[in-house]
Amino acid sequence: MSPDILDESSVIWFGPQHVSAHGWAAKLTIVGDYIVECDPNAGYFHRSAEKCLEFRNFRQGSMILERICMMEAFLAEYPYIAAVEKIVDLEVPERAKIMRTIMMEFNRIHSLQFWWGQFAGELGLFVMLLWPWVDREYSLDAFEELTGSRHTVSYATPGGVKYDFTPKFLAKMETALKLVKDRMPVFNDMLAGSPTFRLRTEGVGHYTAKQALKWGLSGPNIKACGIPMDLRKDDPDPNLAYDLIDWEVPVINNEEHPGESDAFDRLLQRFKEIETSLDIIEKLLPILPEGPIIDPKARSKTNRLPEGEGYGRVEGTRGVTSVWLKTMAKAQTPWRAKIRGPCFASYYSLKHIVPGARFADFPAIFGSLDPYPGWWDR
Amino acid sequence: MGFVGNLGDIFRILKHTFRQVFRRPFTYFYPFEDREYPETTRGRHIHIRETCTACAACVRACPVAAIRIDKEDKKFEKDCALYFDYTRCLFCGDCVRACRYEALFHTPIVDLSEGDRDDLIYGPDKITTLDRDPLEWRGRRFR
Amino acid sequence: MQFDVFTWLGGLWDWVIGVLLWLWGFLMWPFLWEGPFDFFAWFGGLWDWVLGIFLWLWGIVNWLIFWVVDFVNWIWFLVSLPENFMFLFRAIVFPGLIFILLALIFTVWYTRKIWARLQDRRGPMHMGKYGGLQLFADAIKLMSKEIIIPDKAKRWMYRILPSLLLVIVMLPFAFIPWDPYWNILGSPTSPFPDLSVSLVLVFAILTAVPVFSLLIGWVSGSKYSLIGGFRAANNQFAAEIPMVISSVGPAMLAGSLSLYSIVMAQTNIWYIVLLPINFITFFVAAIASVGTFPFDAPVADSEIIFGWRTELSGIYFTVVYFAEFAEQMLYSALMVTLFLGGFNGLPFLAGIVNFAIKWLVVFFLFIVVTSSFYRLRQDQVVHLCWKYLLPLSILNVVLVMFALVYIPGLVPLVIGG
Repeated sequence: MSPDILDESSVIWFGPQHVSAHGWAAKLTIVGDYIVECDPNAGYFHRSAEKCLEFRNFRQGSMILERICMMEAFLAEYPYIAAVEKIVDLEVPERAKIMRTIMMEFNRIHSLQFWWGQFAGELGLFVMLLWPWVDREYSLDAFEELTGSRHTVSYATPGGVKYDFTPKFLAKMETALKLVKDRMPVFNDMLAGSPTFRLRTEGVGHYTAKQALKWGLSGPNIKACGIPMDLRKDDPDPNLAYDLIDWEVPVINNEEHPGESDAFDRLLQRFKEIETSLDIIEKLLPILPEGPIIDPKARSKTNRLPEGEGYGRVEGTRGVTSVWLKTMAKAQTPWRAKIRGPCFASYYSLKHIVPGARFADFPAIFGSLDPYPGWWDR
Repeated sequence: MGFVGNLGDIFRILKHTFRQVFRRPFTYFYPFEDREYPETTRGRHIHIRETCTACAACVRACPVAAIRIDKEDKKFEKDCALYFDYTRCLFCGDCVRACRYEALFHTPIVDLSEGDRDDLIYGPDKITTLDRDPLEWRGRRFR
Repeated sequence: MQFDVFTWLGGLWDWVIGVLLWLWGFLMWPFLWEGPFDFFAWFGGLWDWVLGIFLWLWGIVNWLIFWVVDFVNWIWFLVSLPENFMFLFRAIVFPGLIFILLALIFTVWYTRKIWARLQDRRGPMHMGKYGGLQLFADAIKLMSKEIIIPDKAKRWMYRILPSLLLVIVMLPFAFIPWDPYWNILGSPTSPFPDLSVSLVLVFAILTAVPVFSLLIGWVSGSKYSLIGGFRAANNQFAAEIPMVISSVGPAMLAGSLSLYSIVMAQTNIWYIVLLPINFITFFVAAIASVGTFPFDAPVADSEIIFGWRTELSGIYFTVVYFAEFAEQMLYSALMVTLFLGGFNGLPFLAGIVNFAIKWLVVFFLFIVVTSSFYRLRQDQVVHLCWKYLLPLSILNVVLVMFALVYIPGLVPLVIGG
């Protein structure tokens, strides 16, 4: 880029008071209609969650984590519990393992539905903003029936889960999942089938698999490039039930540009994620055994933890979500906790993806990467 | 795709939106009618002082220190007064799970708005009962 | 007493001469005075002189008062002529200003209700029956808001432009033939017949709208506003040519550029039957020209916060918001006029009722189409309008030309009876 182009540039701040920049700000240098430089800024959402974790005991910490990202509350709280379970020996009952997995996939479905609406709203279709959110209400109702809370479920606890499935919950979950399945063709028409949507997203926000690996993207953003990188398959948590059943990693392989992805591919990838989640729940429900839902010794064992390190990670909606805990001997609270959210990588990759795009394409690019400020500011 | 394919897509989209116009809206008139809350809903708490033993398990379980206990304030033999600070409460349900004497429960009441911050600290007079003044707005009662 | 401009003008010169003479005398009297200065004679004449000045001043005031009274008389005389009174009544009350404002209020409510339905909501519910008074509540709220003018804004332009925009958007409503009798400039028997080029005039006035958008964006002193203003100009640049060319088809079939004549020519057959593709191109180009949803790049809220309206607040925002709805109404009315037969329809209904029914239907279509598609990028707007709409509309014009010449029964059918 020759310097004389930059002479005519102007700087626009996209955020933090911007309508669609909720809790972040990117400094865009534009020349004409094209963005030549994007400088993402973090720090508007900082709530010192890591420090907060150092003052909570091992049964309480997950409540803090849920509030980092409300859209995927259960997926966000689970890594902490996995980390605790790695430090202390807890025998999670088979039933609890499967229940956790079902809830995790259920949460992923409604989180992705939320993303549909958000992305459509960013591309300027307010009808599609509301339709998935209405369908999502049924999933939230099912959550409320089971745990008593719509978003922040606080469902898992070290050693098992807190609440047992009830017939009412199963009925509500079936309604919600059936609705998701029934409305899938409609949303397919409205999103992937819409000519205007294709115009806005095809060839926009383009990156290759190699770049994605270099930037540390994970989850749907890298699976859209054709790399079947999924923690559920690669490193299944021993206390989850992903290895009990046979399922396939959802991967989009675009034949026009293999090994690369644009915003449209990332949408298709997220459609496929929902299908896979539905498939996993369908396969897990029949093999749900009877039995206890929590290790009876869990409560006494998590009062004080031995010295050790635990690293729990899970494939969240937006990518790899992980928590690292370090405990000292007889610790009531972690000595140090580190949260690794998936969105820091996707947010700062804007710096490389955005230059060269039109200004109007910026919402399409960041919308398709699905960054959530809670994950990088914590 | 081509031109004709795009036209087909456009008409399919118009069909979906056109149908939506004649569908019943999802929303309800909130203050006047409310959705049904399941029994498990983690709303505001109710404290049953008859069975409370002042063990303070709920206070220790709370991740945000929203509960204050006053052991001197006895109404029965060995109970205590609890003060719930709903400006801090996360409604995580751990206090209710920690209670082994069936003295603390969640209720399906979730509309806790008050005009004053201090009114959100529910003292023993408010936390032991579900009664509250009905609200009126433009001649219609709700709650 | 009639005020006659020419009599008044004829007397003007005498008056000027008199004043000049008086000044001359005043300047020259020390030199023209003969004999020794007689103080008492001078003193005796002083009172006459003062009285004269008073009389002169009184004359001027008197003349002014009579002039004003005459002027008011003259206006009242003009107003009280039957045809003038009916014209004013039409322009201000019935199909004119007040009717349009009421229709505007209804339209905003109607739009919000249908938007809400499309989005699974209920829309305004609480103010009045089914939220009918919501707009008044909103307007009061917006007007009572503080008006914040940015430091870098050009203050007077910022204050004037929004209201001028509303005026410009309201003007073309004068040319819409609402009814065979109840229209502002229209019925051939009235002393104010429809202009023979009213279709052209409507487009000519509407061309000014993006200029105002661009100017508002420019004088607001904000980057978002500036980008939005240029995008608005871009939208009009893309959409106007297909729209104007789409309106050539009906004009050619009717053999007239007068909107009234176009409507009268549709008594036998509505032009939407003959020119469906023309209707669609006009419809899409009209949406693009208004700049609502699929083409809302000028006010794209996820990109540039509210485009050229970002810095407007309070009453200025209200006015601009109304102007957008008024423009949508205007295009719907034009579509009804050009393609759907205007006031022709069910014979037992009044013409205005027929018109209003079709208007609502077209407006409903407008809303459904605008809330079905994703926002197009501004280069894609130009692409769509120039690569698809423009050839289609030109093709239609050519087809209409050939059809008029070579299809024998067509001309009597489309000229109307």
